[in-house]
Amino acid sequence: MVIVEIINEPIESFQIANGDNQNGAELVFNGKVRATEKGKPIKYLEYEYYEGMAEAELKRLANNACKNFTINHLYCRHRVGKVKPSEISIHIIILSKHRKEAINAMDWFIFELKKNVPIWKWAILKDGKKVPSDCIH
Amino acid sequence: MINVKVKCFSQVKYALGVDVLTFEVDENTTSIDLEKIIRERAGEKLNDVSLRIAINQKYQKEEIALQDGDEVVFIPPVQGG
Repeated sequence: MVIVEIINEPIESFQIANGDNQNGAELVFNGKVRATEKGKPIKYLEYEYYEGMAEAELKRLANNACKNFTINHLYCRHRVGKVKPSEISIHIIILSKHRKEAINAMDWFIFELKKNVPIWKWAILKDGKKVPSDCIH
Repeated sequence: MINVKVKCFSQVKYALGVDVLTFEVDENTTSIDLEKIIRERAGEKLNDVSLRIAINQKYQKEEIALQDGDEVVFIPPVQGG
């Protein structure tokens, strides 16, 4: 199963059903906003996205991850709007029979997301300046 | 003549100062022709910015002729995550 969401509010974790006894691996990734941008302190990151296409690209990538890495479920929530340091900007859970395919799928999914999903962010510095935030890691 | 809508995001929005532009162009206008128009309009602000093209919410790898009513987005490097 695939669930992808883009939301403009604090991210809450997906609730995984307790009765799931087919997946030995439950891998959770939370991407959080750092307090600095190129060494300068920030007030927050401001995310914008291309509504419609961003969701479609996320879903396409999630489905490809399920096909290519034999994982069973991928859930992804991406936040947009203002996100302050230490808050979660992206939350992903992957469930699979064994750990290795989940770890490989997670790395691939995040890499592809950062390359293809039309979401952008600006860093709003403490001094009020607005600069592109271009983390590629 | 045909009408196409250009939605602007991130560095393109910053360079052009608008969210949406509507163009009336010749019927033979292609996606690359429209990119040239956008880059000229931005002056030098997009000179170092690579742009991918999405038409009606799908990436286009090849140059294609625009159709009346198309929604075009010139996508600067994305930064999700």
